[in-house]
Amino acid sequence: TLRLICTTAAVQRRNVGASGPEKYTEEFIKKQIEEFNLGKRHLANMMGEDPESFTQEDIDRAIAYLFPSGLFDKRARPMMKHPTEIFPEQRKIQWGEDGRPFHFLFYTGKQSYYSLMHETYGKVLSVQKYQDELTAQDLLPEKEKRNLAGSRWLTKIELEEMLLEKLSDDDYSRFIQLLEKLATLPCGDIEEKYVQKFSREVPVQLQKVVIEPLKYDERGVAFSTGEGRRKTASATAVVYDNGTGKVTVNGIDVLHYFPVLQDREQLLFPFQFLNRVGKHDMVCTVSGGGRSAQAGAIRLASAKALRSFVTEKEVEFMRQAGLLTVDPRVKERKKPGQEGARRKFTWKKR
Amino acid sequence: LCRLVLVRGSRYNPSFIEPEVNRELYQKPWEELSEEEKQKMELKAVQPIKAAPPSLSSSVFRDPMISKFTNMMMKEGNKVLARSLMSQTLEAIKRKQLEKYHKAAEGEKDTIECNPYVIFHQALKNCQPIIGLSSITKGGKTYQVPVPLKDNRKRFLAMKWLISECRENKHRRVLMPEKLSQELLQAFNNEGPIIKKKHMLHKMAEANRAYAHFRWW
Repeated sequence: TLRLICTTAAVQRRNVGASGPEKYTEEFIKKQIEEFNLGKRHLANMMGEDPESFTQEDIDRAIAYLFPSGLFDKRARPMMKHPTEIFPEQRKIQWGEDGRPFHFLFYTGKQSYYSLMHETYGKVLSVQKYQDELTAQDLLPEKEKRNLAGSRWLTKIELEEMLLEKLSDDDYSRFIQLLEKLATLPCGDIEEKYVQKFSREVPVQLQKVVIEPLKYDERGVAFSTGEGRRKTASATAVVYDNGTGKVTVNGIDVLHYFPVLQDREQLLFPFQFLNRVGKHDMVCTVSGGGRSAQAGAIRLASAKALRSFVTEKEVEFMRQAGLLTVDPRVKERKKPGQEGARRKFTWKKR
Repeated sequence: LCRLVLVRGSRYNPSFIEPEVNRELYQKPWEELSEEEKQKMELKAVQPIKAAPPSLSSSVFRDPMISKFTNMMMKEGNKVLARSLMSQTLEAIKRKQLEKYHKAAEGEKDTIECNPYVIFHQALKNCQPIIGLSSITKGGKTYQVPVPLKDNRKRFLAMKWLISECRENKHRRVLMPEKLSQELLQAFNNEGPIIKKKHMLHKMAEANRAYAHFRWW
């Protein structure tokens, strides 16, 4: 099971939809929507534009013009958005006037989750029945392998937002196991539409970065630049073609600047990986960080620069070798009550 | 650069995958790959990959076992010193073997191994214990139960014994590379204190054979 150890902003946002019955009544939200539409028309009138074709971007620009704010956090600035974006989706009250709940699974506590599991399992059983009928008649079709690479299942946060209920990791993994079972059954194509509701497209290539074309300098030699950062060190590298493999760092030869073998190995890594060790010249500038951080920053910068010299397939290979990712590891801060980032003070019995 | 560090965990998102540096895998043309490998490549094309750490590189001279051993020898983060000690050790092994080679008779020259990397790997393999002891408490008493060891654990134990042996049982004036090379050559020939330690462990495991049924995994 995947446990999300590192927290992101999405996880820390509380699932407001799951917390208890509604704080805003339906009439309140309707009134807000009416007020929003009226206000939109007034704003369009003020700005001298057509009220009918006033889009959300126009509203944002108008508000930024009328109420300029110097606050850094975008969420703290004055904004005017549709009420459905501001007031989060909430569950309506689940029981009627006599106190009797509407849904038959209300007393389980997680009614939408259990009803979803019930429905999915019903689909699994129906597919198995259909499969049995086909095997009785010997008409079982061959199952083509599903393309695993292009799609992913919903994450736990997305599922929670869909059901408006808090889920535990265990519940989530059970649901995913059921979905996998449904998808891998031979006659699962019948329920394709149902399964697609719970899967998302993954962008097939992670190469969203644009590769720059080569530039030519006065002598006609092709060159390209790259920038890299590692742990407070930042480097820029210029890689020239038709070279002898000379590397200059901050005006100093690489043997004098990096006396340690490991750093020079790191500099050579991208070139050695692409079999271009003696073919390129490099001139870099680097500042900040320590010995190893500077070497890592130059490695990243040169790998980025080499992308323009090389075919797309090799760029993908470089990415899979870990040459093109920025290393996010930085020094962890010291916490109060502890001696260092992780080390605690010596425990004394008395 | 965002310096806000997330507490308790790695800095990478759990969906990131370890990088694969081995160049041969990438040089195979598309048609030669088997079905499984093609699927793996396609999956990998969609997943984000971690950055390669500074100890990883695709050079011919990099050996994962030697890197691990160097890291274990390192004290207080002084990788420069550890690496120089390691290279001096390998040099010392090569010198000793070359001396033996030149002094040996014609017929024996083939049997003497001069490559220090081969000697290192073979010595480590000879030092690895097959079975280990684990203390299990049952009914108030702690028993030493013989337990099969995983590969990682075997390698770790062999390296740890080597290093601790060299740090403790040596004369004050003898330097680390010399002592290490001596130990490695002895281990290569299946003699020396570390091999004895391994045999002691095996004997203890054999003696405690009766408690083997206490193991539940």
